[in-house]
Amino acid sequence: MAKARQLIAYLGPSIVLSLALVVFPLGFIVVMGFTEWAGLGPAKYIGLQNYVFLYHDPSFRSAVVNTLLWGAAGIFVQTPLCLLTALILSRRPTMWKLIRTLLFVPSVVSTTILALMWYFMLSPEIGLVNGTLTDVGLKSLTRSWLSGPDSAQWAIMVPFVLYIGFGMVLFLTQISTVPKETLEAAQLDGANVWQQDLHVTLPAIRRSIALWALFLVGYVLRMFEYPYIMTDGGPVNKTMNLSLYVYDQMVTANQYGLAMAAGVVTVVLGALMMSCVLVVLRWIEVS
Amino acid sequence: MVQVSARAAKWLFLGTLVAVSLIPMAWLVVSAFKTTPELFRSAFSVPHHWSFDNFRAALDAEPLLTYFRNSVVVAACATTATIVISTMAAYALRHRFRLNGVARGFLMAGLLVPLTPFMTPIFYIIERLGLYNTVWGLALVYSAMMLPVGFLIIRTYMESIPEETLEAARIDGASFHGVFLRVIVPLAAPGLATAAIFLMISDWNELLFANLLTTSPAAQTLQVGVTTFLTGYASNYPEAFAATAMAMAPTILAYALLSNRVIDSMAASALK
Repeated sequence: MAKARQLIAYLGPSIVLSLALVVFPLGFIVVMGFTEWAGLGPAKYIGLQNYVFLYHDPSFRSAVVNTLLWGAAGIFVQTPLCLLTALILSRRPTMWKLIRTLLFVPSVVSTTILALMWYFMLSPEIGLVNGTLTDVGLKSLTRSWLSGPDSAQWAIMVPFVLYIGFGMVLFLTQISTVPKETLEAAQLDGANVWQQDLHVTLPAIRRSIALWALFLVGYVLRMFEYPYIMTDGGPVNKTMNLSLYVYDQMVTANQYGLAMAAGVVTVVLGALMMSCVLVVLRWIEVS
Repeated sequence: MVQVSARAAKWLFLGTLVAVSLIPMAWLVVSAFKTTPELFRSAFSVPHHWSFDNFRAALDAEPLLTYFRNSVVVAACATTATIVISTMAAYALRHRFRLNGVARGFLMAGLLVPLTPFMTPIFYIIERLGLYNTVWGLALVYSAMMLPVGFLIIRTYMESIPEETLEAARIDGASFHGVFLRVIVPLAAPGLATAAIFLMISDWNELLFANLLTTSPAAQTLQVGVTTFLTGYASNYPEAFAATAMAMAPTILAYALLSNRVIDSMAASALK
């Protein structure tokens, strides 16, 4: 029988590390979000002023809206693409393994490099996107994708939405656990391929889809590289998101208190988005 | 007829996704060999002669090899630390005790909390520890950041080791530590390798904290290093292309050699 001392020794490091770098920071930002603090010297208690400032700051509003937009793009565009690809590949068409391997390549390359690459791709003068449009006679469609206020936010979401390797691989693994007999039974009942996917496979992996959505929410809240590298939040904060906002307030503006208040809003928003996913899952389970 | 067009649509769909995944990378690598006038002439042109001048210039402009070394050190240390402490925790949680559920829930809860809102306190802690602008500070933050995922993968794997195997070792007189070192670690090794691949990739690719916690090239990672080409050399596209291509090469190479292991390891992180 294990002794308490031994258990503590084995659990200690992980618990201490989590306390120091997750729990303590959480408490810290909640408390310090009520202060004005430049990092050096004493912090001054200012009540809710940081939150009032955030509420009125157009840049922060843009950050919240865009973070929700990233989440929506992930859940309603990227996830269906992942699912569709996984469903197609799960039927083992010719070269399915090769296709899976190739589609996964962007998932091992860092987001930093993908962001740099797409910054070049979308460059107005030398980019491949405008170059292709010009060569196929659609020069009228070319534009400065990343500096146009209407196009910038959509443009920086392109690599995020189209690089589906990770989600596809996860769904493919889950689909392979769906019992063959269920599919065969549906086939005998006259269901075609699409009906089998829709009525048997997708319901069978609904929990994985919901967990993937939770993962995406976390990913979107961490999302930093695309706006930081491709647009730096511009033009006029059109592509600002929450991570970049916290970073800018802290590193550029030296407004530590404000950065932490924005961090608290990020945590709360994340919890709300995750609750939404779980509520939808429950609703699907019940009905 | 319907069948034929459905098949065509399927292949068009897959083909488009594969093209989007590969063409930008190929274009980037080819462009890295071009001169500035060639870049501006046409996006499709092939370089006049294939010289490594841009690559040499990029290596002269920034200490890319130092960045590379730092990335290796940070990823290796953080991955090792995460693996060791999550394996220990997962082993402890195989025993029955009163707070088992609480401890497990606590460690898993980190999966749902992104660390980016904690930039300020984490910066503060690392500075207080005297680890600001060092690779060790980064490694420490990454080991905590990846702990929940590492724990999840390892715990899932460890559950597949039957209790009888542990019981047999205990009957043979193995102590608590003995069972861990001589039974758990060897049997869980494939699971640990899987987790290590996933953690390595994640640690290697991180940018935000690397940016926040380091300022000098002696401690900066490759991800931070390549972004300097964009801010400092905005007009020198060929150099930036070459630097990006070089930064991409090690990961692509590793993936080319180990693609099936990498894919399996990513799939193992699937939440159950």
